[in-house]
Amino acid sequence: MLDYAEPVTRLIDELKKLPGIGHKSAQRLAFYLLRSGRNEAERLIDSIREVKDKIILCSTCNNFTDVDPCRFCAGAGRDHRIILVVEEPLNLVTIEKTREYKGLYHVLHGALSPIRGIGPEELKIKGLLERLRSSEVEEVILATNPNTEGEATANYLSRLLKPLGLKITRIAMGVPVGSDLEYADEVTMHKALTNRHEI
Amino acid sequence: MILARLDVDGFRNLEGAADFSPSLNIFYGDNAQGKTNWLEAVYVLGTTKSFRTSQLRDCISFDAARSLITGLTERESISKQLQTLISPSSKELYANGKRETLSRYLGNLTVFSLSLEGMEVIRGDASNRRRLIDRGIVALSPAYLDRLAEYNRVVKQKNKLLVTAQESGSPARFYSQIEVWNEQLISVASEVHTARSSYVQMAEAQLERENHGRAIFGAESVSIGYRSCLEGKGDLSRYSELLHERLALRMPAEIAAGHCLIGPHRDDIELLADGREVARFGSAGQQRSTLFLLVLAQISIYTSTYEERPVLLIDDIDAELDRGRIEALISELEGRAQTFVSTSRRAIANRYRDRARVLLVERGRIAKDTPAFYETAAPATRQALEVQTLDAYDEEEAPALE
Repeated sequence: MLDYAEPVTRLIDELKKLPGIGHKSAQRLAFYLLRSGRNEAERLIDSIREVKDKIILCSTCNNFTDVDPCRFCAGAGRDHRIILVVEEPLNLVTIEKTREYKGLYHVLHGALSPIRGIGPEELKIKGLLERLRSSEVEEVILATNPNTEGEATANYLSRLLKPLGLKITRIAMGVPVGSDLEYADEVTMHKALTNRHEI
Repeated sequence: MILARLDVDGFRNLEGAADFSPSLNIFYGDNAQGKTNWLEAVYVLGTTKSFRTSQLRDCISFDAARSLITGLTERESISKQLQTLISPSSKELYANGKRETLSRYLGNLTVFSLSLEGMEVIRGDASNRRRLIDRGIVALSPAYLDRLAEYNRVVKQKNKLLVTAQESGSPARFYSQIEVWNEQLISVASEVHTARSSYVQMAEAQLERENHGRAIFGAESVSIGYRSCLEGKGDLSRYSELLHERLALRMPAEIAAGHCLIGPHRDDIELLADGREVARFGSAGQQRSTLFLLVLAQISIYTSTYEERPVLLIDDIDAELDRGRIEALISELEGRAQTFVSTSRRAIANRYRDRARVLLVERGRIAKDTPAFYETAAPATRQALEVQTLDAYDEEEAPALE
């Protein structure tokens, strides 16, 4: 016998598929929704449906967008000579929040990982090459994650892009700002020392 | 640093707590009472691994949902509470009640062990020897663990890619991708190689100095050397470049094999007794001596680096050594390590009861414990206890050891 009525079980199972949601959280969310007013639930359903209907990938940079090309690619105030490459749309948000970067973006939607069956064909690399060939881009900043897979991806891209004669840079890695040196792990510290700069 | 107290809950058949001496502790009792389990609990607390099983959940007692080992360590005058919580699906580590990551936790209590299983280091395949060296390095620098994990991750990714390349029928298409992973591999591999070869050099220097050790075990001379899989292929002093060359050269072979053929995961550690490979030419006694000397050398390296004593566990000490050697080993270890041994021999418990804390293990509990037990007790209780404890150990006339 099921612990809950069948529709509730189904809802819990669906919620559990979401990242960061375990069984207990799923159960709590499901019961919250059960108790909430019909309007609130409808709003949630509508907003999910809306993103599914309206959000597409930008045909230029592959970011999530409701207009194509997206606001960044079409933006007049953006510097079209620089492209910053990230793994996920969420990474783009983090960089955009700094309000420091005014160039364009390119989202790969992943990083190289043979174990997970992700090779260069699975990433949005072809589009990047096309963009670079047919535009005034002068610099590509590789901002993939500083882990094994992200490093391999940056490495792969730099080999691929070198022949195009562009300036290729990799974001710096080192100690986090606003924290204490004592909290930095050895590897980070090592990177920070290797990449030190004169002041 | 010493382990002052251990509290166990839901770990194998153990129950209750035990207090320890900073020098020698002897778990004594009949077979199948839980002596080795106590040693194992100390080992798990320090290393978060077991020396008996690769499945830590096997340690959870049958009637418990999880097991919790709590230890109190003392470093100079600072005490720290360490906890390892094992549940069927996870392992959580705490220091002073705060959750810690593995590499931060590991520096808290350094444990070395000598057990029958340890003979795999001598006789088994190279992975056992690499593990012994890696554990020694982790004791010195816990962050090394992250580098090793990183290396293994790169190897795993590259292995998968090699298989994909092989199965694709046109491997040449994958060359550039493999080169990318090779580059990742080279940077971590160089770090692992440097760490391991310099550790082995320290061990070799230590073994040359271990004159006492040699006298105890009667092995004329034991030496250790790091054997990179690139040995004989070029100049090892420029390791990265050499690895780079070899990887490029061997790429077709690696694709054909479907896994990484070169790198530190294929290295070995050579152990010689009297100049001959101990695994192939050494007697059982020589093999045992080699392992003991090796662990003693690791302890010395640790002590000289940190100026503090690690913990050493010797399971079933009488099965490993005769009386003379036990005596020599125990004197040798005095002041160099906080030692925990297990034995079922009353004679051994008896012989060392003035110098050691003897803990009588019965059905998983510390049934009696001497001498610190009565050091703190009131005089009247002390007298009563004395009679009681001495009775427990004196019932049997100590048989002469071989």
